Amino acid sequence: MGYIVNDCVINIATANGTGSQSANLIILQALFEMGVDVSGKNFFPSNISGLPTWYVIRVSEKGYQAPGDQVNFQILMNKATWEKDIQSVKPGTVIIYNSDVKMPVEREDCIVYPVPMTKLAKKIHPKLAKMIANIIYVGILAELLNFDSEKLELAISKQFLGKEKAIQLNVDAANAGREFFKENFTKEDSYTIEKREKDEDAFLVEGNEAVALGAIYGGVNLLAWYPITPSSSVAESIIEWIPKLRLDENGKSTCAVIQAEDEIAAVGMIVGGGWAGGRAMTATSGPGISLMSEFIGLSYFAEIPCVIWDVNRTGPSTGLPTRTQQGDLSMLYEASHGDTQHIVLIPGTVEECFEHGWKAFDIAEQYQTIVFGFSDLDLGMNKWKATNFEYPPEKMNRGKVVISQEQFDKIQNFGRYRDIDGDGIPYRTLPGSGLAPILYRGTGHDEDGVYSEDPEVYNKMMARLRRKIDGSRTKLPQPVFKNNDAKEIGIIYYGSMQNTIQEIDDILEATGIKISQCRVRSLPLSPEVENFVSEHDLTIVLEINRDAQIYGILRKEIPITLVQKLHSVAYSDGLPPKANVYAEKILKKINEVRE
Amino acid sequence: MSIKLNVIDLPKDDYKGGPSSLCPGCGHDQISNVIIQAAWENGIQPEKIAKMSGIGCSSKTPAYFLGKSHGFNTVHGRMPSVTTGANLINKDLTYIGVSGDGDSASIGIGQFIHAIRRNLNMVYIIENNGVYGLTKGQYSATAEVGSKKKKGEINMSQPIDLCAVALNLGCTFVARSFSGAKKQLKALIKAGLSHKGMAVIDVISPCVTFNNNDESLRSFGYVRGNSNELHVIDYIPQREPVQEVEIPAGNYRDITLHDGSTIRLETIDDTHDPSDLVAALAALHRAEEGQKHVTGLLYFNPNVETTEEQLNLSDTALLNLKENQLRPSKESLIEIIKNKRG
Ligand SMILES: Cc1ncc(C[n+]2csc(CCOP(=O)(O)OP(=O)(O)O)c2C)c(N)n1
Ligand code: SF4
Ligand SMILES: [Mg+2]
Repeated sequence: MGYIVNDCVINIATANGTGSQSANLIILQALFEMGVDVSGKNFFPSNISGLPTWYVIRVSEKGYQAPGDQVNFQILMNKATWEKDIQSVKPGTVIIYNSDVKMPVEREDCIVYPVPMTKLAKKIHPKLAKMIANIIYVGILAELLNFDSEKLELAISKQFLGKEKAIQLNVDAANAGREFFKENFTKEDSYTIEKREKDEDAFLVEGNEAVALGAIYGGVNLLAWYPITPSSSVAESIIEWIPKLRLDENGKSTCAVIQAEDEIAAVGMIVGGGWAGGRAMTATSGPGISLMSEFIGLSYFAEIPCVIWDVNRTGPSTGLPTRTQQGDLSMLYEASHGDTQHIVLIPGTVEECFEHGWKAFDIAEQYQTIVFGFSDLDLGMNKWKATNFEYPPEKMNRGKVVISQEQFDKIQNFGRYRDIDGDGIPYRTLPGSGLAPILYRGTGHDEDGVYSEDPEVYNKMMARLRRKIDGSRTKLPQPVFKNNDAKEIGIIYYGSMQNTIQEIDDILEATGIKISQCRVRSLPLSPEVENFVSEHDLTIVLEINRDAQIYGILRKEIPITLVQKLHSVAYSDGLPPKANVYAEKILKKINEVRE
Repeated sequence: MSIKLNVIDLPKDDYKGGPSSLCPGCGHDQISNVIIQAAWENGIQPEKIAKMSGIGCSSKTPAYFLGKSHGFNTVHGRMPSVTTGANLINKDLTYIGVSGDGDSASIGIGQFIHAIRRNLNMVYIIENNGVYGLTKGQYSATAEVGSKKKKGEINMSQPIDLCAVALNLGCTFVARSFSGAKKQLKALIKAGLSHKGMAVIDVISPCVTFNNNDESLRSFGYVRGNSNELHVIDYIPQREPVQEVEIPAGNYRDITLHDGSTIRLETIDDTHDPSDLVAALAALHRAEEGQKHVTGLLYFNPNVETTEEQLNLSDTALLNLKENQLRPSKESLIEIIKNKRG
């Protein structure tokens, strides 16, 4: 019988906090080591222990990374969701379950493997049986799908880095699972895994760690933060890497880290740090941005560089705190009261998370303003394939900062807020320098930084600020285009949708629709986005939210004659985007438009 | 006529600011003048001072002193966090923060508390008038129960004593003074500037426009008649040998500050020991019971690490690190990627 090779979906149902996470990561890593294209996503609740968690592994020769539409292997470890999990699978699915749990599995139409996981685990280590039971299902799957033993062991040793005892225990448990399958069952399903030439450059990494490393190589010297899912691991990774990468010759840190009392204090600290001449950042999620708003306006108006990473979770309010969304984007773009507009960097891959991680500081200092990095739970907290993190090719750009009297004397008619070069970006001096000191303020000020309520002064100041930020449109990370020769239908998307777009594209192509892609990578929008719209008969704006946020920004900013070409497909249910869900909505929209 | 210069040969004019736009007679202006005098006499280079504030009449005052220092008039109640960030990037500056009772006891009480917990190295002056001056006379959280506003409403909520809060949080320098007590206030500010760590100075600073009726515990009239000075205070800079200063007749107590200067407390009515936390709290309590203000240096503890010391940062201020100290080498990144590839 011919097997379906390297194309299946594994769903593991467990309870949060039972140690299943390492078992699941081992499966992911082992597949990856076999050179197979694979992605894994955690669907977890907002608690530490006890609530149901699902881990979905997608193996796809085509490189699709979205959660698949149909599960082929269902592993049952959680009593609480037992029945629902059984009911949810289609006929023919393989069900592997812990028979020691003593719960029924009645699905004649499925391939069912009862495995006494707890008993097998107890034989290996009575005390740690609960943890090891998870590795038994790793062994069962490994046997069923023909995992390479060596690669599986490699994955285990990577998971328990350096802890020899743990590695041995887990290897034994995996082998016990394999043996049990061989002795008691025969394979009846039609899926298998075949080793592929592994891309030697490839590795798996979470978006949040990539951002953290980017920040470290961007020279961050102040991190102030307040914990919030799904952003905490950005800060925690920075903290973890500092001892390895950012100690001076005396073993002292070159990056201050402070856990603030709340997000208002965190952002206040980075505004203070940026004001003093540092490269300061914080990482947060939507609720944190809401609290930070007042300071965001101060940074904009007083022109203080600093960086905020927003790892988006599902809002509004506390929302679905462990689910994903692209729901904060329009808030970031215009955060804070009054007229404001901010630069937002939007990575779509882990490589870009790293790149934008360091670039954000250059851009913040260049434009003397707050810069947002926009990621989300899906990109930030799941592991994705990367091939390289490119070392910053240029020296740091510290912007127009005047540090010596000599430099200062060369500037004619200096004023902290005077546009001397015609690019809307003034020169600044730092506290401690003694050069043209002013009292920075969030109140109205003239070009010399002196308090002013003069209508003309205010109006001119606001116009310059707009000019300054507008000037970044062509300098920020520009959009990425694909199949741009198909000029009929275009799709504009951004961020983590990158991981689903190719599958959507293929589904559409199968129905005879050829699309070209434009992935936006920053706000304010590049003029190339407008070109893209004008070149296509019809453009779909695709995003993971309800309110069509980038669509709204586009409508406001592109010429009115082009607006009629724009059509929104915006959908959010908290889950990472599934290709068929969005493809269907796109098809529907295209049909509506064409009628 | 020769102009009087300080130890670093600067005239007092170098420490002045722009003209004040506060109400004539406002206590805050008195404090600004004392800050100018204290900084000048201490001989701190003006550019090495950073003046920080929140929002309020009080928080406007950095515009009126130290015109040669950079400053930051931030947002309401958040001066401490901005100062924290600035301090971590540039620990070599002397930070003077000015705040109001609304700014620190209401909207900003969280940041006030946490900056004290961390022993941020700064002088934190609260210009305490018991009202919101800038928004025209609403009660602040330091107003006493039963106090009557200009328009007649009576405050029924308990007041917050910011000195008591600071003491309970382990603040390393806690003082109370009065905007009209120039000599005492100047000595306290100078001592605060010499202190390494958080120096909280709660200064009663009457609002002549909204809270100066004689029943108000923070009116000029009331404070003058109902203050107990713990001691007469003298500040002796490090450069003047202590023995050259005139030795007071009665009891006195010398306290050595971080930079080697000395603060001399000449005891009047009481033998207050500023290293005794319980005595400090008791003094506040007694004063409150008698509806009096106790002024002077309430508490002092020089032996606590500051925020930046706790973080074990580079000896060089982070601001002055070179690019190769901020950005790790290319080789290090290659090594990380190699390990990740496994
Ligand atoms: C977020 C915010 N809320 C409210 C205000 C309005 N506001 C300005 S000053 C102030 C009170 C100031 O009182 P205090 O700190 O005691 O200063 P004073 O004017 O008495 O010196 C208020 C409520 C503001 N500026 N910002
Ligand atoms: S309103 Fe009160 S606090 Fe404000 S300036 Fe006038 S007197 Fe001073
Ligand atoms: Mg007040």
